Amino acid sequence: MWTTRKLLTLAAIGLFVFASNPACRLIQGVQNPGSANPPGPGPRVSREGTLTLLGGDPPTLDPATTGDATSATYIVEIFSGLLTLDRDLRVVPDLAERWEVSPDGRTYTFSIRRDAKFHDGKQVRASDFKYSWERAANPRTLSPTADTYLGDIVGVSDMLAGRAQQISGVRVIDDWTLQVTIDEPKSYFLAKLTYPTSFVVDRENIERGGRTWTDRPNGTGPFKLREWRKGQNIILERNENWYRGAPSLLRVNYILSGGSPITMYENDEIDATVFGILDAERILDPSPNNRLYREVVRDKDGQPGVAMLSTFYITFNVTKPPFDDVKIRQAMNYAVDKDRLISVVLRNMDIRADGILPPGMPGYNPQLRGYRFDPATARRLVAESRYPDLSRFDITLTTVGAGANPARYIQALTEMWKTHIGLDAKIEQVEWATFLDDQFAKKYTFFEGPGWIADYPDPQNFLDILFYSKSKQNHTGYANPEVDRLLLQARVERDQNTRLRIYQQVEQMIMDDAVWIPLFHEKQFWLVKPWVKGFVVAPMIIPTLQYISIER
Amino acid sequence: MPQKSASTIIIRRLLWLPVLLILISLTVFLFGTYGPGDPVLVRLGSKANPEAVERIRAELGLDRPLHEQYLRYLWNVIQGDFGESTYFQGQLVTDLIAGRLLVSLQLGVAATIIVFAVGIPLGVITAALQGRVWDRLIVSLTLIPESVPVFIIIPVLYFIFVRQLKWFPASGWDGLFSPSAVLPLIVLSIGGIAGVVRQVRTNTLEVLHNDFVRTARAKGLPPSTILRRHVLRNSLLPTWTMVGFVIASLPAGSIIVEGLMGIPGIGGLAWESIFRRDYPVIMAITLLGATLYVIGNLIVDIGYPLIDPRIRY
Repeated sequence: MWTTRKLLTLAAIGLFVFASNPACRLIQGVQNPGSANPPGPGPRVSREGTLTLLGGDPPTLDPATTGDATSATYIVEIFSGLLTLDRDLRVVPDLAERWEVSPDGRTYTFSIRRDAKFHDGKQVRASDFKYSWERAANPRTLSPTADTYLGDIVGVSDMLAGRAQQISGVRVIDDWTLQVTIDEPKSYFLAKLTYPTSFVVDRENIERGGRTWTDRPNGTGPFKLREWRKGQNIILERNENWYRGAPSLLRVNYILSGGSPITMYENDEIDATVFGILDAERILDPSPNNRLYREVVRDKDGQPGVAMLSTFYITFNVTKPPFDDVKIRQAMNYAVDKDRLISVVLRNMDIRADGILPPGMPGYNPQLRGYRFDPATARRLVAESRYPDLSRFDITLTTVGAGANPARYIQALTEMWKTHIGLDAKIEQVEWATFLDDQFAKKYTFFEGPGWIADYPDPQNFLDILFYSKSKQNHTGYANPEVDRLLLQARVERDQNTRLRIYQQVEQMIMDDAVWIPLFHEKQFWLVKPWVKGFVVAPMIIPTLQYISIER
Repeated sequence: MPQKSASTIIIRRLLWLPVLLILISLTVFLFGTYGPGDPVLVRLGSKANPEAVERIRAELGLDRPLHEQYLRYLWNVIQGDFGESTYFQGQLVTDLIAGRLLVSLQLGVAATIIVFAVGIPLGVITAALQGRVWDRLIVSLTLIPESVPVFIIIPVLYFIFVRQLKWFPASGWDGLFSPSAVLPLIVLSIGGIAGVVRQVRTNTLEVLHNDFVRTARAKGLPPSTILRRHVLRNSLLPTWTMVGFVIASLPAGSIIVEGLMGIPGIGGLAWESIFRRDYPVIMAITLLGATLYVIGNLIVDIGYPLIDPRIRY
């Protein structure tokens, strides 16, 4: 006998099952065609011509508000700017086919390509760049990076401060010509224009799309955003109208839901993945039956792994005892056996850092005088310093961690200091958000930060930003008038060779002052399936998907 | 003592709900404000420009006095506006949650059904076979999920079914009726099944020793009829209280399971939002979880008189 209650129960179960079916959209509401984040199960993406990778949810897909690596990874493929970086990190033309620099080095005149188009086929004009940059400099846009990447342009700081409605240093000469005036002749200005903040956006797209315009962005890059299901996946598809011709890849599917990368790679769920020290022993075993070893990406010398433009280091606050004595800082540098650290603890997966600039960075100096492991000199320096008895100090080394044991190399470091110079440093691990908060408030005396990764391939991005006394990113309290003078000189030096020599001189001075203990330059290790051709592991975030093809 | 009607109980509970939610929201808000970490800095990272940080803090209203921030938040929530995520620029919290709610609901409802559909028969079987091998085996097995935490169970299941056997994908979500849902459902329901099995077994054994069961046997009724008509009705009543517990524990369970297994549900979002210090999202999910908890208990209270007419309020 079917009672009403039983029928209702059955109906409810049926409805639930029906709603759970990926093919059903009845309960999920009519899909908003303007939304790239429809609810419900993720799509099954065809693997034909598709590259599948693990990715992260980007905080934004708006070039103007990009400030993090995750967002930039997608944005450099969907959007583009006047200039870009090629695989060798050279600044090359992108939407600008050429440019001229005025004799005083302050005015750049860019000629925009006639075949540069947005994804919807609309022509890109000089006025689009003016709009995009003024939007980035508008305080209401909340760009965290407009000051850094556009701040050299005359009038940007006025606009950011709300004192102007336009950027006075940007002029539209005609549809194809854009003139930009900067405050001083800075040769690294062009390198800054390769960062997403200066990329071009479509005014109509933004005004029509409102708050969530990035769910359907109309970019100019080699790939278009087809779908973004937050927490599930981002699907890019190739831009058939791209001025350099459609890329070979049909689609790129980024899985955002996490998981074990190596397991997913071995199960053929993803086509490429980065791997770390925990999996290195198994993957880097060169025995003939180890298939994974043959799939490791190699550098130009045929060695596994690719060097990144990054430096990991220990930082002192040089205004606080005992680190206000240069001899103590030097002693701590001499007390570190980096070769052992790299070979034993880091399993040779990183490159020893003797200085601040990473290999591959213009101005990198292989002859730099760093600090070789020398415990006797370290002890002598401590004895000569104002603090010959380090045991009376209560020193804490702050590091980012999630509550498990601190990184093994940090433990090894503290052991070396204790053994060689009698400095007993406690390790305090703080969670990432807390670390940022306290670093910002300059609370730390002695810390291991997240490392410094290049934003653009120029030594100014390291030396000026981190060590100029008035820099907002100078967390060390270091202020050396001679270093400041040279940094200001390098900013406006027109001759590249002279400029790089100045930076090498500055780097040596900073190293002599032992403001940091440089530890290592990171190498990235990737596994790539044999059917993926042209995969590029770049030392920093640049557009790379255009070079890849799938040949199964 | 005068008896209250079920509707009075329900109304009273529902009237308490807003008060409870205000208390919870205030607690989360205070923890968020006084706890370490700044959502703007987390979004901008270690290269944050101080002027940009200040501008963005002001735009998000994070530079306002605490009471003003809270009251504004409350006023907006009353109007159904949970604000914008501090991490995902320009994204409304409601949109973020809506996109993930269905996944969690499917998992939650399916896990609840599995818990009772598997737990009740097993509990009855073990009671009926008291002292035999099957009884001992099943009861021993129920101790495993009760004593081993999920963050141990998950890697073990992964090793067996994903790495070795390659039966299921390592991560992601393809819908409830796909291989991607199997492991999460096992992990979500395994603890509940163990609890229900032991509860039903204990209750059933208790009822089996009652006089009215002996009388039924003496009358010559077949065992299946005795079990269905006399034993189950009486032994399932205490089990009904577990429905509330199972429903109420789902949000907490799903945070761990979705966070560790890469399921794009509310739990996964909560897990990520905690690390991102995305307080508007954390607040909204906490309020949602609290509402679920209250509703779960309400369902239990409403269900009692339906199962056993002798129970009145």
